[in-house]
Amino acid sequence: MNTRSIRFRLTVWYAGLVAGLLVLFGAAVYIGLGEYLRSTLTESLTKEAQQIGETLLVNVNLSGETYVTDEIKEHFAPEINGLFIRVTRADGSTLYESGASRDGTFDPRNIKSRGEKAGTSRVEGLPNGTKLMISAVPFTSRDGETFVIEAGAPLKQSESVLHGLLLTFAVGLPLVIAVAIAGGYFLMTRALAPVGAITRTAEQITSRNLSERLPEAATGDELEALSIALNRMIARIEHSFRHINRFTADASHELRTPLTVLRGELEGLSRRTDIPDDARETIESALEESERLAKIVESLLAISRLDAGEALMNRELFDLAELTDDTVDQMRLLAEDKQIKLSCVAENAARVEGDSGRLKQVIVNLVDNAIKYTGEGGNVEIRVAATDGSARLEVSDSGIGIPPESLSHVFERFYRVDKARSRKLGGAGLGLSIVKSICKAHGGTIKVESNDGKGTRFTVDLPLANDDGADSRRSNVKEER
Amino acid sequence: MRVLIVEDEEKVSRFIVRGLTAESFAVDSAADGRSGLELATTYNYDLIILDLMLPVLSGTEVLRQIRRKDQRVPILMLTAKDAVSDKVEHLEAGADDYLTKPFAFAELIARVKALLRRGSVERPNILRVADLELDRLSQQVRRGNRRIELTAKEYALLEYLMTNAGRVLSRTMIIDHVWDQSFDGATNIVDVYVRHLRGKVDDGQDKKLIRTVRGMGYLVGDEADT
Repeated sequence: MNTRSIRFRLTVWYAGLVAGLLVLFGAAVYIGLGEYLRSTLTESLTKEAQQIGETLLVNVNLSGETYVTDEIKEHFAPEINGLFIRVTRADGSTLYESGASRDGTFDPRNIKSRGEKAGTSRVEGLPNGTKLMISAVPFTSRDGETFVIEAGAPLKQSESVLHGLLLTFAVGLPLVIAVAIAGGYFLMTRALAPVGAITRTAEQITSRNLSERLPEAATGDELEALSIALNRMIARIEHSFRHINRFTADASHELRTPLTVLRGELEGLSRRTDIPDDARETIESALEESERLAKIVESLLAISRLDAGEALMNRELFDLAELTDDTVDQMRLLAEDKQIKLSCVAENAARVEGDSGRLKQVIVNLVDNAIKYTGEGGNVEIRVAATDGSARLEVSDSGIGIPPESLSHVFERFYRVDKARSRKLGGAGLGLSIVKSICKAHGGTIKVESNDGKGTRFTVDLPLANDDGADSRRSNVKEER
Repeated sequence: MRVLIVEDEEKVSRFIVRGLTAESFAVDSAADGRSGLELATTYNYDLIILDLMLPVLSGTEVLRQIRRKDQRVPILMLTAKDAVSDKVEHLEAGADDYLTKPFAFAELIARVKALLRRGSVERPNILRVADLELDRLSQQVRRGNRRIELTAKEYALLEYLMTNAGRVLSRTMIIDHVWDQSFDGATNIVDVYVRHLRGKVDDGQDKKLIRTVRGMGYLVGDEADT
């Protein structure tokens, strides 16, 4: 999983936020509930103490103290109910004190008397670990005698409620967070799905299918706005690309007429016999240049056509191995002329679909280049093989090679590794551009590797044609004829 | 032979007229589609050279209208476009041949002559230039009494040069005829083959028959021919 993806980061943030809020909320509930339980306990204890005072102690001088203790025992049965009750006189002596609770949770003898804190409530920790909530209430009898009545109960019950709550949180929180992560991830996946679609389509848009557009989900959200903006950008690129292509085509086209005139006039002139030798020389030189200019114009036009995807009118199925073999055979003399050993290994059929004339041009250009840049006595080797889905053409030589810094530029228009040298050999730096454009127009690729000074290898990969289709189409053609 | 040229580029028209006149053709010219069509339908031409992009009436339209009235006259289209689709379209519309600008004048002449020859195939079995002799039936080449052994490509090259003896053939024309357009790149294949051919035909001979015309191409001819 990509931890830098928006999906991952937002999910983490989202889950973190949910977890944080839940912890805060849980803490508030826990503290609030604890407070509430304590205050209700305090309240009921205070009420009990007041009840003792108002019903029993109010006439203590008339009824006598024994009556009070008996009544307390009878009404409240503190030992059975787990209550602590103590009545202290003004001088600090105890009028009544309940006994140890039956369940043994506490023993009142361990609870120190704190008469002076009448009117307050406190939590008393006992040596055995039990905590008691004790409310102390001051009381004055009718004849003016003052007492402190203490009523207490263990905190155990409210503590167990809080404990249960804590347990619920401990189990529930991770569960809720897990759901939040899953939900967040799912929502992000859904929300970002158009991004994936946009990315995939955008990846596939190249100079050859600029008319394609990204999917525009009519969701009215930011992604729709993004895809619309991207589409507008692609439209602008398409427009300028078309413009460039049309410009190249128009320019080449417009250049042809003056070139025709130039060439025609010069040829006419050179046919005349009454011109001096030096003038003839000039005319011939101008003719050579006009020829070269015409070639450049042709090549540029061819490239812009190929790049615009127009120039593959003659699609047919053929065997690249056979085409290569035939083409190389026709070029043997060029190699022999420089004592270069030209070998061609193209034994197995590699059927491709395309413009065989154009692909032949690829072979001619690559082989011609290899021979040009290989010294006398060198080797040029051509291989054709069908390998997993592609027909591969390799042209390698033992020539001068290409310096590493030039390697990435060799397919650029007008790029020349060694200007002086290639000009002498008659190149305009467009041959490899055409080769690349042809390969691209066929859905193929071309790459170059070179050891400076030791040789160069060009590798062309073209998609293999489906052979069943090939055979059936062939037979169709035969029938038509 | 009377030829009509319909071409709006005055200079192009002018050098074609001049060149064809030098080749003893009678040449009329028109600078736009309508006057071209008028001339074409008024007179009987042996051949019409028609530019594709014309003012007033386009070349395509002129072609259609001429064909509606006259099925026979050979029409050579000139164009600055070379899209295959255009080519096919115009050949279907009735053009007999198609030449893309810029072209070598030699190529124009060669095509004009080929179109005028149409029907009457003049294909001599034996081609002769001075003491060089090429026999199309046995595919043998002799210079004087000496038999010359040629490879298939060398033979094809010599045959093409000798068929057009005395005429300069551009490298592009040679490549198109002897190889095919795919070889028309940076390659110097023509020069290498011509050099080899020359070695077999002209070496040791006083009279050199294969000549280089700088800036234009190659030519086979007796010096007396030109």
